[in-house]
Amino acid sequence: MKHSEIDGYLFARMVVGAATHLKQNKKKVDDLNVFPVPDGDTGTNMTLSLTSGVNEMEKSPSSDIGKVAQALSKGLLMGARGNSGVILSQLFRGFGKAIADQSTIGALEFANALQQGVETAYKAVMKPVEGTMLTVAKEAAKEALMRAKREKDLTLLMKDVLRAAKDALARTPEQLPILKQVGVVDSGGQGLVFVYEGFLSVLAGEELESENEGVLHDLSIADDLTEIAHERLPAQVGMRPEEIEFGYCTEFIIGLNKLYQGNFDEALFRTHLSQYGDSLLVISDDELVKVHIHAEHPGEVLSYAQQYGDFKKIKIENMREQLGEILDREEGKKGGGDQMETAGNEDEPHPAPNPALTSEPENRSPYALVAVAAGEGLEEIFRSIGVTELIQGGQTMNPSTEEIVHAIEKLNADHVFILPNNSNIIMAAEQAKELVHVPVTVIPTKTIPQGIAAAIAFDPFASPVENEERMNEALSRVKTGQITYAVRDSKFGEVEIKEGDYLGIREKEIVISDPDLSHVAKGLISQMVGKEDSILTLITGEGVEAALVDELVSFVHKEYPDLEVERQYGGQPVYLFLFSVE
Amino acid sequence: MPYVEETEKGKLYINENVIARIAGGSAMEVFGVVGMASQQFLKDGFAELLGRENLTKGIDVHIVDQEVNLNLYIIVSYGTKISEVAHNVQERIRYALQEIAGISVNKVNIIVQGVRV
Repeated sequence: MKHSEIDGYLFARMVVGAATHLKQNKKKVDDLNVFPVPDGDTGTNMTLSLTSGVNEMEKSPSSDIGKVAQALSKGLLMGARGNSGVILSQLFRGFGKAIADQSTIGALEFANALQQGVETAYKAVMKPVEGTMLTVAKEAAKEALMRAKREKDLTLLMKDVLRAAKDALARTPEQLPILKQVGVVDSGGQGLVFVYEGFLSVLAGEELESENEGVLHDLSIADDLTEIAHERLPAQVGMRPEEIEFGYCTEFIIGLNKLYQGNFDEALFRTHLSQYGDSLLVISDDELVKVHIHAEHPGEVLSYAQQYGDFKKIKIENMREQLGEILDREEGKKGGGDQMETAGNEDEPHPAPNPALTSEPENRSPYALVAVAAGEGLEEIFRSIGVTELIQGGQTMNPSTEEIVHAIEKLNADHVFILPNNSNIIMAAEQAKELVHVPVTVIPTKTIPQGIAAAIAFDPFASPVENEERMNEALSRVKTGQITYAVRDSKFGEVEIKEGDYLGIREKEIVISDPDLSHVAKGLISQMVGKEDSILTLITGEGVEAALVDELVSFVHKEYPDLEVERQYGGQPVYLFLFSVE
Repeated sequence: MPYVEETEKGKLYINENVIARIAGGSAMEVFGVVGMASQQFLKDGFAELLGRENLTKGIDVHIVDQEVNLNLYIIVSYGTKISEVAHNVQERIRYALQEIAGISVNKVNIIVQGVRV
């Protein structure tokens, strides 16, 4: 749809579109958040801030864009949350100021207003850190100023602005070392890109979906390919190494040559590759092609593919060897796990690894579990259910990738499972996986009860793949409740929160808030327990009185006579109670 | 009095000035903070905006019995939500000190000394 100008009503719709789109992608933004403090709340903060802006804006609808933008700016200021929220409020404050007296704006004014927002935001910080949301906003405004001289259609202009923002976002890891280290783009920048996408979707009169594939997707799809492909090949354990027809799991990404950009024939490419092996997956866009294939002669696959462009990333694994290791372990043999090169050995099944060749065959164990937790009681609980290594950490104290690597290296095991027990630690665990030489599986546990359930589900005699399935299944069955206290006044959904109140959190949502701990605990339990549940576990934190725990246990006995109650001392800081319902 | 950490191989002393610098460096990166103010000028009724080299003048570090408390005298930008900026500074400083120096801070008090329009 063409737009030569924006009035108050259209602008209001654009902002609502942006808020909705941001809200839908809140979690993605949260998960990227590692800077300035890795607390995984950037998306939430930006969404809350923008929502506050929208609410204020909707109180005074007007055809004058100046008035609407002022209201938005006021609402954003009042509702600003977190660093990213404050930045967002300044971007819109500058934007609003630039067009305060206008009733409608055209392309030039729009570009100027974006630029004014950026200037206001940059003035509000002593030492701007590049590679953040500020940089993304700056690059986007720069593009807008340049294009607006010739482009009068705001929809097309916004397209260019969005593209510039995405490019800038993709460069953030180069500018901010912490991002590169963790392998993500800036979370606030990603949030801003979602805002711009929301703007564009309203201007273009389109539903978002197809436009939605940002940098985030490009990177994650590549990693998912193996998973996707291997899901179609279940029960590998039942096979024998010599039965594998195509021995090498081969995966690569090609950056297409200029010649093929935009006119790459994916179907032809796929048909040609299919003669080399099976489990073939090909995904491409204008610039990249990602391939997963099981082939017997990966060299031929690579040579063929190389004519289309340069390799960005290549990974080849010998599946016969991997399977041999799994089978060895199944048969209870110790050893295996050697990492010998097997080049030139493709046509013959790989011989079983000779135990005499492997180092330290005596103490080496096939499996080890690593968990992250804080509190002596929790440590004991985890050890009692088979976790070999505990890393201190949790909500406010996330262990570094390095600490996780150390923990893995300490263990003399063939395969290590990690239970991060916190959504902010999953990424560090994934990162650690890349840095060690032992195979590692990260079970994405987000809470302590999920971690406990996963550890219990672990079976030392099952294969890694089976264990991963069992543990993921177990954690999905557990309902988690947590009780902590509020450090400041706020509001979450319908729940009004006062400083010092106890908060009952079900999964990620605050469902109850009150100054009376016993009241909060009972309320939370009532909200969590359903007809089909059979066990409730109470894990008490640091300094919780035994009398209160007794009171809760008798409350549960009375209200839910069929429910089995278990009490455990966790000794964890921050959370007075952890509840797990199964 | 410096912060002392007992390690297996000996003691580690971290001077107050080090803590102040880390706190100042991380506060500067927080959006909405446009400067640090020198509290020495308080009695004269105006706050001096400090340059980067003098940051530590805007920060008091108190270490009593290994408990670290900080007072920060900051100047914020007009039009930012002061409570939120202060909260962000507190979080950022806590995190930075924990990561860089392994120090968990007891309190970070923020004294907003000025607003720059």
